[in-house]
Amino acid sequence: MSAPTADDTTEHVFYAERPEWADVVPVVQYENIQPLAPIFYSPEYKDATDYFRGVVKIGEKSLRVLQLTETIIRLNPAHYSAWQYRYETLIAISAPLQPELVLSNTLTKASPKTYQVWHHRRLLLTALGDPAPELAFNEEVLKADAKNYHTWSHRQWLLAHFDQENLWADELPFIDGLLEDDVRNNSAWHHRFFVSFERGSNDDKDEAEAIVKRELAFAKEKIALAPNNSSAWNYLRGILDHSRVPYSTQAIFARQYIVDTVEPRGNDILDLENPPPSEGAELPCAAAIEFMADVHEASGNEGISEAVELWRSLADTHDTIRKRYWEYRIRNAVATTGKA
Amino acid sequence: MPRPTPIDAYPTKTSDLQIDTEDILQEQIPPDGGGRVLHKNAHLQFLVRNLAQGFPARYMSQDASQPWLMFWTLQAFSTLQIAIDPDNKQRAIDTIMHWQHPDGGFGGGPGQAAHLLATYASVCSLAIAGRPGPEGGWDQINRKKLYSWYMSLKQPDGSFIVSNCGEVDVRGIYCLLVVAHLLDIVTPELIDGTAAFIASCQTYEGGFSSASHPHFVDNVLSACRPSLGEAHGGYTFCALASWVLLRPYIPLDDDAPRVDTRRLLRWLVHMQGSEIELGGFKGRTNKLVDGCYSWWVGGAFALLEALGVSGVPESARASDETPPPRPGTHAEDGWDDVDDSLFNRRALQEYILIAGQHPAGGLRDKPPKNADAYHTAYCISGLSAAQHRVCPSPAWRAEVRAVWKGEDGVRAAAFSEALSWTEEAGASHVVGSAANRVNATHPLFNLTITHTEGIMAHFYKQSVPKRVPKRSP
Repeated sequence: MSAPTADDTTEHVFYAERPEWADVVPVVQYENIQPLAPIFYSPEYKDATDYFRGVVKIGEKSLRVLQLTETIIRLNPAHYSAWQYRYETLIAISAPLQPELVLSNTLTKASPKTYQVWHHRRLLLTALGDPAPELAFNEEVLKADAKNYHTWSHRQWLLAHFDQENLWADELPFIDGLLEDDVRNNSAWHHRFFVSFERGSNDDKDEAEAIVKRELAFAKEKIALAPNNSSAWNYLRGILDHSRVPYSTQAIFARQYIVDTVEPRGNDILDLENPPPSEGAELPCAAAIEFMADVHEASGNEGISEAVELWRSLADTHDTIRKRYWEYRIRNAVATTGKA
Repeated sequence: MPRPTPIDAYPTKTSDLQIDTEDILQEQIPPDGGGRVLHKNAHLQFLVRNLAQGFPARYMSQDASQPWLMFWTLQAFSTLQIAIDPDNKQRAIDTIMHWQHPDGGFGGGPGQAAHLLATYASVCSLAIAGRPGPEGGWDQINRKKLYSWYMSLKQPDGSFIVSNCGEVDVRGIYCLLVVAHLLDIVTPELIDGTAAFIASCQTYEGGFSSASHPHFVDNVLSACRPSLGEAHGGYTFCALASWVLLRPYIPLDDDAPRVDTRRLLRWLVHMQGSEIELGGFKGRTNKLVDGCYSWWVGGAFALLEALGVSGVPESARASDETPPPRPGTHAEDGWDDVDDSLFNRRALQEYILIAGQHPAGGLRDKPPKNADAYHTAYCISGLSAAQHRVCPSPAWRAEVRAVWKGEDGVRAAAFSEALSWTEEAGASHVVGSAANRVNATHPLFNLTITHTEGIMAHFYKQSVPKRVPKRSP
């Protein structure tokens, strides 16, 4: 059993002109009023949605409803009612869901920024119970747009919902590849955090410590490559906050990034825990100054004046757009020490 | 020229796009230092055309968002200080009431399924255009069915799906909470677990994601609730506003859900683009500035005031009485001495005025994009957030509470909290001439304070003390 497809390459025949639809009474959108702020619809869209309203009115769920909803979805993939009615129809008539997933591949690739295409996939995947091929499809869509919010949250849902070892297994190498393409891709960084720290079923303490160590090293290596990358600094902070490790443990590393120029590299042994800025680095790095100010602030009384000096330099020179914020930090820190 | 974003001699796709955008934005700056003019007439024409003649065919993709097209247009009029004539108000009401679903809630158009987002946009549009009585819209909202429909969308983790068989996300929850507050249908059952869900959406960056994923162990919700998607301006606004709305109901015990306001503030301020990006806001780390985040992120700072995070030093804020008089009200001179917001309000206004306005009317993401209804509304609301300081006034809250008729409880709290938000006299800063001024909007609802008061007073059956505009010192 398969529904006739509403392939847009064939010549369009209006539903009003199709004999097999003659028994359905189309319902116009607005009766007896002149709506304010109306949309100018194409004749194809108006025709199909009139019939859709007619079908919904009588509650018909049949094979031909799949055809009708596909027509609408192809014209307007954000028509959530058509999607919803389509899904209910699929279930009601026990339609095979695998072909629906195949159709969904096309529709998703055509409109990857629409909530509904992704949610429909979720419903199908949940019903089908076979998540394995989905990662590859997801990756294909990410190739076209590596920051698509829906694509990423869908991937994360897939991992969390099915929580299968084989699904998680290759995520890190996958992210490595994306960050090699573009180290500033914040979506990939977020995904790295998700994979490393937010997998519910992972509660081995030794393993958790090893992960923290590994991720700290990773973040620092990427910061060294392109120091003015907020994504990497946010990630570094994220690891420390999450694992309750003080920022001061990274002071030796961060201090290298608050100087004015890259120091020439001698032949001395490279400190692998504290990679220095790349030769092309534009220093000082505002994110490093902010980080060091936090380190000083946390160290208490004597540290505050050093923190204030750093915040001052951000407010006046290195990050002037956020002047108000840096001044707020200064006021707060000074007020706190005053009370202590 | 301001300093370009440093790329550390390591270009990637992100930095290439960034640099291109910086070039485009810099080209927008008029050489003579002018250009800080809000073209109100051009925007009005844009809005009137959409409202009266209708939206061109490319808006077909928003056929399921008809209430949004209405709300964006009506709210843009309100912020631009334009009243709608009675005939068009009635047409608006009649149109909106065609979207109400027989089983409760409003859909994206006639005959469409009820949806949380469509319901917010419909009810807020009615707050602007509607009135009590027959044909007025307000009393034709079926609140009983609306409430039952809301409860039918509730999930075990405290979240809500946006429609029957729909997805979960914090936009839907924000929309539900706003409507429930405006229409007086908040109950403990409705919001049970919702604050904890919101808190679980905060990411390591400090902003909020679209949703979190629940894990259940033996039918008990586990503490591990990973966020789906990275921190994002739109979701952050919705989550933060939801959090502020839910705050009166959150118990003060140790197990109560928490939001990290320190990290949230840090993320919000970092969303402001630098001088070379004209100080516009972006929606995610390492993405581009976009006019709509003027509201989603720029508007979020006011919400932080409700959580005690304020740029006004505590010493100046200690009094619960009238706000401290501060000099230099509307003058450009001396602004920097009196501005105590946490973001750069001047720069945000400049971004909207210089880059956000389309020469043919309407506002936009950034040049060379077209204007559209969505960006027009949120650029103007963002401009409003950058011009005015609207925050909860304890003094005003007490006045509202003093005239409350009925028993004390969550209803009284919801009402007086929502209406405690007040535009602080003497704290407005308008870039350009005084003609650039737009109305203040309520930070939680994105309605003017007058519209918020009107609809809430009706549904809570209360009267609100008359606000006497405070004289500027």
